[in-house]
Amino acid sequence: MKKDLTKVRNIGISAHIDSGKTTLTERILFYTNRIHAIHEVRGKDGVGAKMDSMELEKERGITIQSAATYCPWKDIDINIIDTPGHVDFTVEVERALRVLDGAILVLCSVGGVQSQSITVNRQMSRYNVPRIAFVNKCDRTGANPDKVTRQLREKLDLNAHMMQMPIGLESELQGMVDLVTMKAIYYEGEHGEKIREDEIPAELKDEAEERRSALLEEVSMFSEELMEALLEEGEISAELIHDAVRKGTLSLEFTPVFMGSAYKNKGVQSLLDAVQVYMPCPTDVANYALDLNNDEQEFPVTNDPDDPLIMLAFKLEDGRYGQLTYVRTYQGTLNKGDTVYNSRTGKKVKIGRLVRMHSDEMEEIDSCTAGDMVALFGVDCASGDTFTSEGLSCSMTSMHIPEPVISLAIVPADNKAQVNMSKALNRFTKEDPTFRTYVDHETNETIVSGMGELHLDVYIERMKREYKAEVQVGAPQVAYRETVTERAEFNYTHKKQTGGSGQFGRVAGYLEPCEEGEYEFVDEIVGGAIPREFIGSCDKGFKKSLEKGSLCGAPITGVRCVINDGAAHAVDSSDVAFQLAAVGAFKDGYLKAKPVIMEPIMKVAAEGPAEFQGAIMGSLNQRRGMIIGTMEEGTYTVIEAEVPLSEMFGYSTTLRSLTQGKAEFTMEFATFKQVPKSVSEELVKKYQEEKKA
Amino acid sequence: MTKEDLIQSNPLRALGLGEKTDGKNQGMGLVMARAGLGKTAILVQIALDFMMRGDKVLHVSIGESIDKARSWYTDIFLLTTADMADAERREIEPEVMRNRMIMTFKESAFGLAKLEERLDDLVKQDVYKPNCLIVDGYDFSDSKATDMQGFIDLMESRDLDAIWFSAVSHRGDKRVSETGIPAPCHEMDEMFASVLFINPETEAIKLDIIKCTACEIDASAKLAFDPSTMLISKT
Repeated sequence: MKKDLTKVRNIGISAHIDSGKTTLTERILFYTNRIHAIHEVRGKDGVGAKMDSMELEKERGITIQSAATYCPWKDIDINIIDTPGHVDFTVEVERALRVLDGAILVLCSVGGVQSQSITVNRQMSRYNVPRIAFVNKCDRTGANPDKVTRQLREKLDLNAHMMQMPIGLESELQGMVDLVTMKAIYYEGEHGEKIREDEIPAELKDEAEERRSALLEEVSMFSEELMEALLEEGEISAELIHDAVRKGTLSLEFTPVFMGSAYKNKGVQSLLDAVQVYMPCPTDVANYALDLNNDEQEFPVTNDPDDPLIMLAFKLEDGRYGQLTYVRTYQGTLNKGDTVYNSRTGKKVKIGRLVRMHSDEMEEIDSCTAGDMVALFGVDCASGDTFTSEGLSCSMTSMHIPEPVISLAIVPADNKAQVNMSKALNRFTKEDPTFRTYVDHETNETIVSGMGELHLDVYIERMKREYKAEVQVGAPQVAYRETVTERAEFNYTHKKQTGGSGQFGRVAGYLEPCEEGEYEFVDEIVGGAIPREFIGSCDKGFKKSLEKGSLCGAPITGVRCVINDGAAHAVDSSDVAFQLAAVGAFKDGYLKAKPVIMEPIMKVAAEGPAEFQGAIMGSLNQRRGMIIGTMEEGTYTVIEAEVPLSEMFGYSTTLRSLTQGKAEFTMEFATFKQVPKSVSEELVKKYQEEKKA
Repeated sequence: MTKEDLIQSNPLRALGLGEKTDGKNQGMGLVMARAGLGKTAILVQIALDFMMRGDKVLHVSIGESIDKARSWYTDIFLLTTADMADAERREIEPEVMRNRMIMTFKESAFGLAKLEERLDDLVKQDVYKPNCLIVDGYDFSDSKATDMQGFIDLMESRDLDAIWFSAVSHRGDKRVSETGIPAPCHEMDEMFASVLFINPETEAIKLDIIKCTACEIDASAKLAFDPSTMLISKT
């Protein structure tokens, strides 16, 4: 029997850090009977929330990895991805959004729309994810869902409207008025599990009527039937309103706002009802695959379980039982024991075990169909790989992976730590494409690089805790790059013919800037000046040269190496000889190609009360920042600037002291730009001194 | 094509941009059109001309986001430098864009006093001292000549070279000033040194120079506006 996809919801939960989204997920799992006891994020029972399965997450009270889980609610299956809130982990958020059909944007009723909410909202817009907003923590002092809804409109440009109004606020929060059914809802019982519907309290009736009228007027834009019913002043059914709100939500033109307090067990079930009614099912959302046989032309996936399989691996985890691969199925059916194709590697993969994940517990299943999100066991692949049935050559759209911007040197404390560190790094780099590692051959240090200080900090901690790998950590370094700015010729002969077997190879050609990618090798040799079997050796030699530039020791990118002449010796030429010749040739051409140092530039958004605008701008200016603009939003200002990462270390302390702790900032990688001459000279000098030492 | 060529060949030279009208500044300018015809595109071309000549521009956008304003500059810059070699363009882009700062306000939150305060903030903290102000999205329907006098005072007291505004005219509103400035700016004639009007005709869109104190153009020269590229050209 075909699975009814209209009864599936793939949703994510995203928010600013500490808005309570993990607590909310915990409650969702409780009310859907997936867990039978509630544990708080920083609870006294020491168990921690279910979705924060890593020890470190439990300890810090923040979500680091997004764990996937599913829960049934009424007659639908909801697959939930709990996503991290800190900006350093945005790749996790982005990956989750890529495979989701809808999302809940959680906001704090006191903090409102905060800087990370803006980033998350931008990401949701990038992937056209329909969203509903949940204003959490309505039990807190200063809770103001109206203000938050206004901010959703003003700061995030969402057409946000409250679908409920609170009955009491702060410590007086009792329940909500449903503006669709016009009933008061109370969440009773020890954990708010008993829903009681009642008449709206008399003192709130007029306000509720007013709010409902405004809501209906707004959503009538999405339904002609509703508009007619309103004009005729006839009876308006809840279905009619639901239908209009759903249309508006799916078209991203309307954002329904719900509210409550997950911690106080209020409002969560109504939010689940909203997920059921307003969030899209897999067939409501158009997803496209790229046809690899037809110049990567986009084509829509069908969502039909009977069609050939297309599924995307969106997350890897290396757990106790081997690699776990989270997949989203876009069409077709996958059964246990099936053989599928990895369209990137072209390799056949047999699916041995298929599981449905529930945080760190799993449940064996026999098959999954279009629209499902499950996990595979023992499949060797990378995050972002597409699996298909035989004969289908396509790939899901590639995911946006930012370049790492910061690096640290790590040194294992002893031999045992060395082995464990390698294991850990191997796992982390497979799981997280923004976390990279390499060995600096000169210093013999292992370098890890990632998206921010906290990002690397978390991996170092995980290394210590999960792998018992004690490491010493160096100071964070900015991931500089070197590149060439001009075309330059090279002509180099590597010759070692004194005694024993000799080495000979001559490589000639030119280097030039290559904007399309990191490196390109072009073979323009004619007439066999360099024998075919040594062309690959030249490529290898150039690649080796790119590992470390001669200006500041940073990797070289954006260079095209073209070989057009050379010479070989019948006896003395070899793979090694041509590799060394290419290294020499690169060295010969590199300095003539006017190399420059590039540095990562971050897009910084600092927000705070308007009276601090000048001070914040001044501080960014002092850090070589280029102010892009300011946005006046009532009493506060958002300042957007592009600032070199090297100048941003310790900025949070500066910002706090400048603004009496009233301003905050977020930053994300924007681009690489050439460093100014003075900075370049300093970096070159420092590198030369290090080399001498 | 070099940056200097671009500056010299800019059709906006016809407006005498860069010339001081009374020895102090260039006065205030106004771009008028019905909604959606390309006022912002013209303001951005005027701003880019200042920026290319090394002057600093503060772009005040009322009711639009920083990203939107910024993308206008990116797009118009790419179009105006289409004949330039890629390497040259890449080199001058950061140099030119460094001369621009965007300041956005909600419609309800904008006011001259607030703008003065923010501007002084920038100058006092030594963050940015603009030579030219671009004010896009100002609501003239609710504005009087005295409000404009406030901007003239601001220009003089803060040593600005020019302030350029955009204003929406309405097809149904036939009121015009003696010099031909349409409503709602018809009673502010003397406040502006230059007034441009985007005039849609059947086949092309003309850019009428209604008023131009610093113009040194020959009377027959006309400016046109290409709606497909949003660029100003000579006709």
